[in-house]
Amino acid sequence: MTTMYRVGDYVFVEISNHTPFAIRRIEELNKTSLGNVEAKVMCFYRRRDLPNPLVQLADKHQMASAEDSPLAMKIKKTWLRTPVGEEQAAQAVLDPSIASLDEERLSSNSPNSEKSGNGENLTPKQRHQVKHRELFLSRQVEVIPANNIRGKCSVTLLNETESLTSYLNKDDTFFYCLVFDPNQKTLLADKGEIRVGSRYQTDIPAMLSRDEKTDLVIADDRKLEDLESIIWTPHHSLTDRQIDQFLVVSRSIGTFARALDCSSSVKQPSLHMSAAAASRDITLFNAMDILHNHTYSIEESLCSLVPSTGPMLCRDEIEDWSASEANLFEEALDKYGKDFNDIRQDFLPWKTLKQIVEYYYMWKTTDRYVQQKRVKAVDAESKLKQVYIPNYTGGKNSTTITSSKGGASISLFNGTSNGTDLTNGKPCESCSSTNSTNSQWYPWGPAHISCRLCHNCWNYWKKYGGLKQQTRLGDAVGVEPESSTPTPTATPANNKKKFSNDVILEEEKSNDLSNPRQNHKCSIVSCGKEFKLKSHLARHYAQAHGLAVRSGSPRPIMKTRTAFYMHANIMTRLSRILCRHLIKSKKAARQPSFVINTHLVRQEFILNLSGKNPTELKNILIYKKKQRGSVTKIANKLGSPGSGPHEWLVLTPKDKLPKPERIAFPKPPKAPDGSLVYERVPNKCIDFSVKEPDVTILPNTTITTIGSTAISTQVTNLSTSSSSSGSSSIRKRPHEDINGSENAVQSFVGPPTKRPNKDPMPSHCPSPEQFAAMMAAAGQPIPRHHLNGKPKIAHMARTGSGRKQVISWMDAPDDVYFRSTPASRKARNKMLSTSNLRRAARKPWKNLPVKSPPPIIPSTPSDLQVVILD
Amino acid sequence: MQAHNKKRVCYYYDSDIGNYYYGQGHPMKPHRIRMTHNLLLNYGLYRKMEIYRPHKATAEEMTKFHSDEYIRFLRSIRPDNMTEYNKQMQRFNVGEDCPVFDGLYEFCQLSAGGSVAAAVKLNKQASEICINWGGGLHHAKKSEASGFCYVNDIVLGILELLKYHQRVLYIDIDVHHGDGVEEAFYTTDRVMTVSFHKYGEYFPGTGDLRDIGAGKGKYYAVNIPLRDGMDDDAYESIFVPIISKVMETFQPSAVVLQCGADSLTGDRLGCFNLTVKGHGKCVEFVKKYNLPFLMVGGGGYTIRNVSRCWTYETSVALGCEIANELPYNDYFEYFGPDFKLHISPSNMPNQNTTEYLEKIKNRLFENLRMLPHAPGVQVQAIPEDAVNDESEDEDKVDKDERLPQSDKDKRIVPDNEFSDSEDEGEGGRRDNRNFKGQRKRPRLDKESANKNANDSKSTGAANSNTENSTTDSKDEKDNKMDTTESEETTKTDDAKKDANMT
Repeated sequence: MTTMYRVGDYVFVEISNHTPFAIRRIEELNKTSLGNVEAKVMCFYRRRDLPNPLVQLADKHQMASAEDSPLAMKIKKTWLRTPVGEEQAAQAVLDPSIASLDEERLSSNSPNSEKSGNGENLTPKQRHQVKHRELFLSRQVEVIPANNIRGKCSVTLLNETESLTSYLNKDDTFFYCLVFDPNQKTLLADKGEIRVGSRYQTDIPAMLSRDEKTDLVIADDRKLEDLESIIWTPHHSLTDRQIDQFLVVSRSIGTFARALDCSSSVKQPSLHMSAAAASRDITLFNAMDILHNHTYSIEESLCSLVPSTGPMLCRDEIEDWSASEANLFEEALDKYGKDFNDIRQDFLPWKTLKQIVEYYYMWKTTDRYVQQKRVKAVDAESKLKQVYIPNYTGGKNSTTITSSKGGASISLFNGTSNGTDLTNGKPCESCSSTNSTNSQWYPWGPAHISCRLCHNCWNYWKKYGGLKQQTRLGDAVGVEPESSTPTPTATPANNKKKFSNDVILEEEKSNDLSNPRQNHKCSIVSCGKEFKLKSHLARHYAQAHGLAVRSGSPRPIMKTRTAFYMHANIMTRLSRILCRHLIKSKKAARQPSFVINTHLVRQEFILNLSGKNPTELKNILIYKKKQRGSVTKIANKLGSPGSGPHEWLVLTPKDKLPKPERIAFPKPPKAPDGSLVYERVPNKCIDFSVKEPDVTILPNTTITTIGSTAISTQVTNLSTSSSSSGSSSIRKRPHEDINGSENAVQSFVGPPTKRPNKDPMPSHCPSPEQFAAMMAAAGQPIPRHHLNGKPKIAHMARTGSGRKQVISWMDAPDDVYFRSTPASRKARNKMLSTSNLRRAARKPWKNLPVKSPPPIIPSTPSDLQVVILD
Repeated sequence: MQAHNKKRVCYYYDSDIGNYYYGQGHPMKPHRIRMTHNLLLNYGLYRKMEIYRPHKATAEEMTKFHSDEYIRFLRSIRPDNMTEYNKQMQRFNVGEDCPVFDGLYEFCQLSAGGSVAAAVKLNKQASEICINWGGGLHHAKKSEASGFCYVNDIVLGILELLKYHQRVLYIDIDVHHGDGVEEAFYTTDRVMTVSFHKYGEYFPGTGDLRDIGAGKGKYYAVNIPLRDGMDDDAYESIFVPIISKVMETFQPSAVVLQCGADSLTGDRLGCFNLTVKGHGKCVEFVKKYNLPFLMVGGGGYTIRNVSRCWTYETSVALGCEIANELPYNDYFEYFGPDFKLHISPSNMPNQNTTEYLEKIKNRLFENLRMLPHAPGVQVQAIPEDAVNDESEDEDKVDKDERLPQSDKDKRIVPDNEFSDSEDEGEGGRRDNRNFKGQRKRPRLDKESANKNANDSKSTGAANSNTENSTTDSKDEKDNKMDTTESEETTKTDDAKKDANMT
């Protein structure tokens, strides 16, 4: 069963397993490059999320708004602004008289005279539960993975006419009255104001006096002639049919006029086109005006359609503009967007702004616009309107304690993995029952108190953030786990032991490896075919859509290969040491073409590994310093006189040097003048490796690295699942590890934006250099593309001369860099000490000693699939 | 010649209006008015109405409501001299939501000119229904622009109507609260403002159920706060009883309806779920009262639906059915892929429960019962003359064709229309921006003692029949502390003049 979520829906969001759901409103749904869906959401806060003084303030507000006294209105209109932590200040905001009202309220707190909300009689239990239904709106927006959405709810602004019980009687309904600002820690009433005073109201004119006999208004200075001019009146003798006939005649005269007009006959070579042009609304409006101006006499009107200057020709902007003007306009629109003032100034100074606007709205009806829209639609593809998310079924593995298993499953609750002993036999903390649906129990409350909740109460707690009844722990203690993580944005405290953490990370890695490779999808709307290789996609574009994805495109599409690094984990390092004789790392480093037999390495490694226990392995890994003696000693020894030139210091004659089997970097041929001739490598280099086998340095390097990567992969598998050692195949894993994202894989964004291949004038299509010059002339930098959230393109670091490796842009991943935003910097500073940060910069392969994992780590089970509906 | 439900309809349009452009990415597009106009032509509705080109409203006309300073500012500001007006732009809230664009002042002149001319037309009884789709800019304040509105043509139109009508009813079915109009008439009992709008975390933040007016105007502001997803049925279930009750108790002699089309489903900024039919039903319902009726435009940011809606509502005003199939016109492609007049609602949930609407309705009924006109209350509270006036008015208005409205035509349209809820351009569908961003720095501006108002006042004094009403307005004046002296002097002068005249 799935549920559809749309923009604007209010939803429960799982923040962590042991805190209540957060309540959010979906503002945007975006598809990430990995195919996941992210939701931009607006935050609502619960009472328990608010700082204490503000909760009191909220109480007072609620109490006050229940009254209809002027006093209450006063509070309602006051902006309740309180700096948090200063309770005195909080009090100060409120009128002293309100405080007394408050006292009164508290004193009348006996069950029989109790009043709350709108004077309804609520039981203490209801009063308790109503507090769970109150939310506080904030203007805070955050981004969450759509997978964390757990259901829909409804949040409405409380209306004074509504009873609070109407919320209690309906599941998943919440209300709000106040707006919470988490940054300034203030509560505001969400209300504007109609101002009163002569500065705001208008003077009301008295009624004009009337003549008693005729009952006509005297002294009205208004004359209709000053206010309007008539264009058309229905009071005439013509029938509808006659008007229609006249319209047809005016259109045919228009067609004829176009036939006579030279400029028209060029633009509209066929009669049909002339007729269509003559049928545009401007002709009709003109015909109506003519009828009116000739007092609705068909005869006169007809004559005026054919004055002595020739048949009447009415053209609107779309027809009036020449082809070159149209092209200029499109070019300008491409450059400036819809800034018609700039367009006029720089491209079409001879047109008025009104003409341009009129043209623009007519241009939108043309095919040209439809094409542009299509390109736009590609860009907007990531924006979703709705998303289907299967109902969440997981989560049992982590927090529940299934009593049938006797609580054997590990509970990760607040770092206590011994969830067994504390739950046995205890009744539900909320409803005191000893039976739970599905006999599932959930640990609840702070670890040292160790309570548990039955299934129903757990669900209630997750949704409403409190227990059904006020209990001894009740709101007092129940809030505690939250108070350690005050904002919902904060991630759950993850106190798992380091070791288990590592295991999980390892698992994720291997999961990533086993994922099928990302397919390349055609970005043309209504096509959407998928291809395994980018080159196939390119061919598809060319054949099916007539789009040439070529290097001559105006967009700077060249890409360079991203730097990668190999992360040698423990097992890899072990294998290097244990299989030193097979890997011959020093030789491999000198000679990149040296092939390592990975199968052999693996066999040897498994063999060597089998007999060793972890401590032994650890010892192997310990780096042993070679004892070479002190530097001074060696230097002295080298510099000691009398010993003569050592044999090992004498150079081997050149001809006796051992020749390598293969020259990795052969010298280019010499020109007659003795200089080396470097051949230029064309930009389109799909075929260069075929033509020049000598320069295939890159492939060779990759072989080696792939080899070692494979080892690491393999070893990772070994370490996590001993059974799969033989069966798992070697996979190449591109280590394009940029801040943990693999965006580069999907970087290909389809056809370039500027009317590819359909340009009527090929000369219009600028070369990359021209384009760059254009951009420079326009004062616009070539757009840089960032990884975090922004669109991106690749750019080529170097062009032209110099023997540079240029690889096919389609195969290359994007150049990416991480642009830190203030927020990310802040987060970084929070999570990493400066020394750790520096260490990480020096050793990028090291795991970051992050205090808490970033919130967007896909901790949800991977079987949760998100189906996207565009 | 005409059937009983056929009315004399005057329609105001300037062919230039579509070419004003608020700026890149701005949701307000005057082009929608031209799209409506072209649809009207091709539907053949054009030939059934009187078409007028409004004259540009003068600064003098606009200062009948707005402050001199504000209008002077609007007249002088241009995109190329904006930098010189930084301070004033802040003060008058011009810049972000209300940008400075080319022809801004002319645009305001045309929009205001249409509504004023239409009001005068109704006053002269030269028409029964006047339509100005270029008007309806209900957020504009006395000296402040707001929510894409600069000059409040509605207030200017109502002021004109007030010269002939003791009580004018203003109804606002825009998704946003009609705060500009409400504020302008917040303290008077001669104009009742009724606004149906989304309330809560929404621009402009006003329009609470308990905002009911102040001073003499208490209970003369009616606000119906609604939640997301209002559909046709729910809207009708609240609109019809409220308006019936208002008509019954307030008994206006003229009605202004702001037909903001952002309450339609799929609006770029709105969040209601009305169809064109549901929206048009409001027009139909108000039309039934056979009062002088001014229809103005307003919001509406998915322009194809706006022009659909206003075309349909023009046909409702004319009382003639039009086909669901859209006729070919210059902007035909905008209406794809279905090319139909009517739109289907989306499946968004309606957050307004019947229970909620019922409670709102009852509370408003309670308020309306406080009106002096209400049957339960003694009638003497009404100024005698006012009653006379009003009945006379009505007699005159309906002299020719006040026939019982026995059978309303059913507008039958196939149900298989296509809904196209794709947003227009960029931007989300919510209008949260600039919420609460309103400025509160008003200025003293009382030089604009407009001659007309004073004229009318003194002539009113001369006429014994309307004595009570003038005392009323005197009372009002007393409330306005800073205006009294200047008013007093001009008033006596004018009184002398009038004495001579009569």
